[in-house]
Amino acid sequence: MNSIGLAIKLGPADLAKYPFLEEASEYIRETRFAIEELDRPEMDHILRRSVDILETEISAGKVYTNLDKYEIEILSFLVTLIMIKSIDLEPVTKKHSLLEAMRTEKFLAEDLFKEKSLPKKKLLLHKIFQELFDIDIHFDLDLTIFRLSVPDYLMRASKMNEQEWKLINRSVHSGYVYIDTDEAVRLIRSELSNLIYDRIKTMKIPLVPERVKICAEELRKKFSIYYTYRKHHIVSDYPPCIKHAIEMMNTGENLPHSARVMLATYMLTIGKNTDEIVTMFQNSPDYNEKVTRYQIEHLAGNKGSRIKYSVPSCKRLHSEDLCFATVDCENILNPIQFGRKKANAQ
Amino acid sequence: MSLKTSSDNSSFLKGLFREYYFKDSNSLGTPSMIEKREFGYMSFDSIMVRHLSFRNKKELIARLVQESPSDVYCSNGYYKFPTNSVQSKEWEGADLIFDIDLKDLNMPCSSEHSFYVCDQCGACNVSFLNACTVCLGRKISRSTIPCRKCLISLKKETQRLIEFLHGDLGIADGSIEIFFSGNAGYHIHVSDSEFKTLDSRARSDLVDYICGNGIMNESIGVRKSKNGFYIKFPKSGMVFGWRRRVASEFGINQSSISKLKRIVESNGGYSQFKDDLSAKAKSIGVRIDPHVTTDIHRIFRMPGTINGKSSLLKVKSTNLETFNPLDSACVLDDRQVYIRSKVNLKLYLHENYFRIKNSIERLPAYAAAYMICKGLADFIK
Repeated sequence: MNSIGLAIKLGPADLAKYPFLEEASEYIRETRFAIEELDRPEMDHILRRSVDILETEISAGKVYTNLDKYEIEILSFLVTLIMIKSIDLEPVTKKHSLLEAMRTEKFLAEDLFKEKSLPKKKLLLHKIFQELFDIDIHFDLDLTIFRLSVPDYLMRASKMNEQEWKLINRSVHSGYVYIDTDEAVRLIRSELSNLIYDRIKTMKIPLVPERVKICAEELRKKFSIYYTYRKHHIVSDYPPCIKHAIEMMNTGENLPHSARVMLATYMLTIGKNTDEIVTMFQNSPDYNEKVTRYQIEHLAGNKGSRIKYSVPSCKRLHSEDLCFATVDCENILNPIQFGRKKANAQ
Repeated sequence: MSLKTSSDNSSFLKGLFREYYFKDSNSLGTPSMIEKREFGYMSFDSIMVRHLSFRNKKELIARLVQESPSDVYCSNGYYKFPTNSVQSKEWEGADLIFDIDLKDLNMPCSSEHSFYVCDQCGACNVSFLNACTVCLGRKISRSTIPCRKCLISLKKETQRLIEFLHGDLGIADGSIEIFFSGNAGYHIHVSDSEFKTLDSRARSDLVDYICGNGIMNESIGVRKSKNGFYIKFPKSGMVFGWRRRVASEFGINQSSISKLKRIVESNGGYSQFKDDLSAKAKSIGVRIDPHVTTDIHRIFRMPGTINGKSSLLKVKSTNLETFNPLDSACVLDDRQVYIRSKVNLKLYLHENYFRIKNSIERLPAYAAAYMICKGLADFIK
């Protein structure tokens, strides 16, 4: 019996789709698979599959959707992680973690939607949502709708940028949020991705097999060119929130603290120096040069806590009533992207 | 205290506050996990002292009697090391707090009972001026004496917030405490452990929910199409939360496809309907101060302490309907003292009406302290 009192277990077909589960690691242990075996020619198909997965994900930017036998899937999952560890390029690690999470999302949505057996559905929910991420999620009366607590929802949904995830756009009642299958699995994408990322980061491989090393080296050379340093675009115009703050400042209005932080961090990010920024605040009714200078240097990370502050996100500015978005702001997440977007369009 | 007070004013208030903390320390609310909280206070010289920690209520009272501060604060958050700087305190969680403030209600009567006090010389005016007529100082503070209508509106807004907390968020009665702020508002403290670990972003989303910010046409079934829009109600229905509120506002339900279509068309289409929906949601939402709820490191006025802006207590309301803040929060003593009032004013406090003239007045200490804290009078030795 498992922990939710159901006399069913995940089968091999499930482990193929969810190779990050403890049961999959158990399988590897049971088969007494040793990592050195990857140097044997009969393991070539696993290596080729891992290379194929990474090519699809990193070069093509696509989710690898092929599903093979569970023995192959579980091993490929492991070998791919070893390969990424050997490639040792942070963007590759992050991209694979994300795309692997999206792959899981696809399988899980299908399983939760199509699976006929209710105990099996419940088991999947329990294994992935409860055991891995401590989310207490339940089916509602209609088996296509799930409910989870408001805090569980907020902790995850507030990290998403799309407005549809805002709590106000959800069905909320008596402490629960009601969502459909696709939304439920989308909600854990980031945690799944982090779980895979952590697996890669914490993996300790004393000796990487030679054949894996060769594949990894070839992939590293290939992928490196995608991640060369990207130059920042020149900011050609101020976004409306910044314009509004400057206009208010020019007319001697007393800007709230949050608007001052926005203005100063924005100016610092686009490369203005402290002196230039200090003069912007001269019209402020409570202007004090010494205090203003200290605060700007504090935001720049040169004084006090030595933490460099970023420009607040559009979402945050909106909630603080500092957003004055125009059509030019569409699809930007932070005021700093406004200028870049305009520069790109020119 | 925001307004500058003369040294006579300060010593009078300081003495009264000290006496209260010495005699009536029982009413001081002790936060749960006191040893994990950060405390702070504002002295009568406007010096802010932060990053303090107390192991128990006794230690805290001793400090309050010793310092007799103008305002006392306690963090909503709990920390492993509360006395360290914010970066190294090691945050472990925070109570969910809400602030309903009179200034956010934009009461039409506010100009009738507001005064403008010069921060520099203390001169008082009944209308707003860019500079003080006496000393030409440019820092002018607004001082408001909430009227009956204001106090009723504050209660109504608080009641609306409680409905959101209960009905939508499922927070139990026992986890919600309502306090009169001691000046012109209510503070609502939620101690539900499930909400304690929410970060600032999650709390910001919660604020938007309560305020009615960010609602989308799609969430009530109005979807954009190439030719304009079409109606498809959400799978999870229209009977809960904001969907229910909006549905009731427009008089629609899950089967009112043609009615909703007509409403959108009569508004001028998808975009215009979006504006109308946003405005409606904002008018239904509760007017809370977003910064208070989203700040997980805030030190917030401590229950059972005196508010230096008014000399009234931040006091708990157990029955909002019958609660009268101007009685329950008025805790200072009633010995008679003299003040020089700067304004003509009718004042109700502690079940007494005072008709105060712009001259020397003899008043009970609690009413004198209220006038001085509001910047509308000076103490006469």
